[in-house]
Amino acid sequence: MKKIFGLMLTACMVLSMTACGSQSASTTAPAETKAQATAGTTAATTATAEPREAELNIMMSFPQYMDQWETYCKQFEDKMLAEENIKVKVNLEMPSSDQYESVLQARLSSGDAPDLYTLHSNNIATYYKAGNLTDLSGEALAGKIYDNVKATVTQDGKLLAVPIESQAWGVLYNKDIFKECGLAVPETLDELKNVCAVLTEKGYTPFMLAYQEQWVPQLMTALTLGGKVSGEIPDWVDRMYKDEGSYAEVKDIFGPIDLIMQNGTDRAMETGSEAGSADFANGKAAMYVQGTWASGTIMTTNPEMNLGVFALPINNNKADTLVNLSTSTTLAVYPESKEMDLALKFANYVLDDKDSSALFEACSFNPLASCHTFTPSSWVADASAYVAAGRSYQDLVLPQAVTDEQGKLLQEYYVKSITQDEFISQMDAVFKEANKQA
Amino acid sequence: MKQKRMLVQVLIYVLLGAAALFCLFPLLMALMNSFKTNRELLTNVMSFPSTFNFDNFLRTFDKMNYLRSLGNTVFLAAGGVCLIVLFSAMAGWKICRTKTHLSAFLFGLFVFSMLIPFSSIMIPLFRVVLFLHIKNSLVGLVFVYAGLGVSMAIFLYHGFVKSIPIELEESAVIDGCSSMQVFFYIIFPMLKPITAAVCITNALWIWNDFLLPLIVISDNKKYTLLLSTNTLFGQYSNDWTAILSSLILAAIPVIIFYAFLQKQILHGIADGAIKG
Amino acid sequence: MKKKTKQNISMLLFTLPALIVYAVFKLIPAISGIYYSMTDWNGLGKGFDMVGLDNFKEILSDKYYWQSILFTLKYVIVMIIVANLIALLLAATIESRQRAKGLFRTIFFMPNMISMIIGGYMWMFIFTKVLYYMADNWGMTFFDKSWIGDPKYAFIAIIIVASWGSVGYLMIFYMAAFQGVPMNLKEAASLDGANSWQTFRHVVLPLIQNAVTICIFWTLNAGFQVFDVVYALTGGGPGRATQTAAINIYEEAFRGNVRYGYATAKSTVLFVIVMLFTAIQLRLMKRKEQEL
Repeated sequence: MKKIFGLMLTACMVLSMTACGSQSASTTAPAETKAQATAGTTAATTATAEPREAELNIMMSFPQYMDQWETYCKQFEDKMLAEENIKVKVNLEMPSSDQYESVLQARLSSGDAPDLYTLHSNNIATYYKAGNLTDLSGEALAGKIYDNVKATVTQDGKLLAVPIESQAWGVLYNKDIFKECGLAVPETLDELKNVCAVLTEKGYTPFMLAYQEQWVPQLMTALTLGGKVSGEIPDWVDRMYKDEGSYAEVKDIFGPIDLIMQNGTDRAMETGSEAGSADFANGKAAMYVQGTWASGTIMTTNPEMNLGVFALPINNNKADTLVNLSTSTTLAVYPESKEMDLALKFANYVLDDKDSSALFEACSFNPLASCHTFTPSSWVADASAYVAAGRSYQDLVLPQAVTDEQGKLLQEYYVKSITQDEFISQMDAVFKEANKQA
Repeated sequence: MKQKRMLVQVLIYVLLGAAALFCLFPLLMALMNSFKTNRELLTNVMSFPSTFNFDNFLRTFDKMNYLRSLGNTVFLAAGGVCLIVLFSAMAGWKICRTKTHLSAFLFGLFVFSMLIPFSSIMIPLFRVVLFLHIKNSLVGLVFVYAGLGVSMAIFLYHGFVKSIPIELEESAVIDGCSSMQVFFYIIFPMLKPITAAVCITNALWIWNDFLLPLIVISDNKKYTLLLSTNTLFGQYSNDWTAILSSLILAAIPVIIFYAFLQKQILHGIADGAIKG
Repeated sequence: MKKKTKQNISMLLFTLPALIVYAVFKLIPAISGIYYSMTDWNGLGKGFDMVGLDNFKEILSDKYYWQSILFTLKYVIVMIIVANLIALLLAATIESRQRAKGLFRTIFFMPNMISMIIGGYMWMFIFTKVLYYMADNWGMTFFDKSWIGDPKYAFIAIIIVASWGSVGYLMIFYMAAFQGVPMNLKEAASLDGANSWQTFRHVVLPLIQNAVTICIFWTLNAGFQVFDVVYALTGGGPGRATQTAAINIYEEAFRGNVRYGYATAKSTVLFVIVMLFTAIQLRLMKRKEQEL
């Protein structure tokens, strides 16, 4: 009696598992098999033919723009139905940006890859090597992207992803405070020192320091290394990749770094990036080493703020004072996508001549292609002026382990638990380790 | 003498009150700040909101698809808890009463994996989920939670069963009851206190669990409350008023559930404590 | 012999449902995990090589890993003492009150009703904004410490938040255990002339050994795997000053050089360490338990 009961229980359980298993499998299966079966016949579709059904899986890392992108996907669905007679269902997945990479990795590694997915440009090299990126050089979108932006998503001469968030950035500053103190934008390190002195005298704190999150102090190395290497030692990065260089060569980046740290707000370790942006917007400091991506928080906190951008001087040679041009979020196409055609069409649609401007403007993204005809905000204009005058450089592409370590070590440097020399020897070791692992 | 007693009693209440305040402090802060506008919040965290705008709550209710997310989460938690309680009570009781080598082995087998951190099984687990075609399935997820939760629950039931006198079972068997009947009519009711504990702890764990549903569920119509809340965390900026109000909204059902269940424990205990 | 077999079969039937879900969703992934720890997979690409025990050899010289283990150990020891003492004290106090039991039970359990990720963020708000506000504006200058930047104070902050988050959970077990203590035993003790402290120490405490074992076991286990609390407060910083083992492993797997295989190996080592500690703890404490 009891044995039968037990057997029944387990049988029920197993049955229910397979039942629900086949249920969910069956809802996704028909769409796929139908798409595959009719894929061969899409060639000659007349206006009166039945639209073929397809599903497109897209994964993106900015849930704060969920609404804008959902609208855009809907527009894409309509466009595909009208122009290509394909009834597309776009499945847009937007996990939080914090966990995005873990989720993406879980999907890619288990053969459950999305057709399109966003990717930070720093990871392009790793993902390219793993074979997860499609070459988009031959697509229509390739010709529209601004050259300097295109360089940030190109490797081995191939365009590997569609840039979405691209920015020229340097140091954010409060134009009103500068005007009040009669200050002009500094072009050399000495001028920057003078700016700090004047600000302090007039009772303002020069720099906003927000080092709680490890990526923010890292921005200082991004700027100082970028400026120094582009200006004085252009082959430094290549040599570092070959284990032939050393951070000792760039030791004087600590010039501007020390200046910033010594003329900054208190409690830097207890200030997160967002809190820092808010405080900066409220006038707690006149300058903030942060990218223009912080403008969202800044303008929400203080909509009347006059925000500007200037290039961080790293020495007394004006020619080395340049803005950093980098791309953060890009969109990649998975090479083994079952709907490759559609995926590529979507990629092209992101930079569509007609609709792209509206999307980019709605998300406050910067213009990065010839199809973008909207007017950017004032701080973007500031930075773009530098770029137009040729005073910019590509963000240095360093291994992720190296940039992570820079952030960590700068935190330690700030709380004085390591010295400059220790920083240098540590970074060299980390770079060598990264080369070994590559 | 009586005065000293009174003083001590009052002092105890005061200390308890202080501890309670300390406990509630972050939650009260979250509550207060959820009524502000984002601008106010970013400027000054401690200030009283200028107006009690419920806008944030309405906005979040919508952004989170509250009712739908709530439904999903309740389903997961209820389903998971039912399975865990049923499976674990059965297993825990029998393992405790059977004194063979096999039972010791099984006990060890169940318990040792409690020590395995989730991160090391996350990706292989996902592969199993894919293999069984239960990806994106809430029902499948319930079974996954069962699999993950039985270890701790069996450990608890095993320990608690020891405090039930075996004579009760023996006399029932003599009276002609089968194992199943003994379990359901005699043992299970006596396990009420620990069942309540297992219910609460597992319900809470599943309710607030994050990483597992994040990987398994890709359709945002099936998102749980916490997943929906998490979409409010941006890359460079967070919609704090939305986050805080969503937190409050997500916690309300749990508080109600616990306050209700809490009375049940009292009743269950009252029955059990009269034994002995 | 036959009786034992019969017993075993009966037991297996009762255990089967649990065993199936457990094997499929916990055991199999765990074993696969161990397999990955012997590869150099980076969690992304399709190809990887078997490297046998190389990962484990590398762990021996991974100074950051051992640093994080030591830090975690420090955390665990402090947490076991602090959290359990407070929970025990609270449970005993609340259970012996005449009124407002339900209210207090609910209040102290509230931190557990919200996810620790969110809880961590809220405390982060407090340590980075509220305390300073109170220090600057209300003159409470003892709050003016570097709660995130100074590892000493960061540790204190972490313990406070972690205790806040776990005391409620432990309290439940202690309360269930207290209520399992028969009234007549306590009455008999006070009739014999024992005061409440003596009753507690000699009558109640031995009878709740089971709960104490469970709670210490749980604190030990959860403590070694602590992640959310620390990550939300300090991110492991400054630098790696407050990096726990779980954070070290997470960063190895998903950041830096993205070495999933190596990270899984580290996970396995951590698991072995935790297993050793809990085995010792359970051995020591199970002996003290009383089976009625």
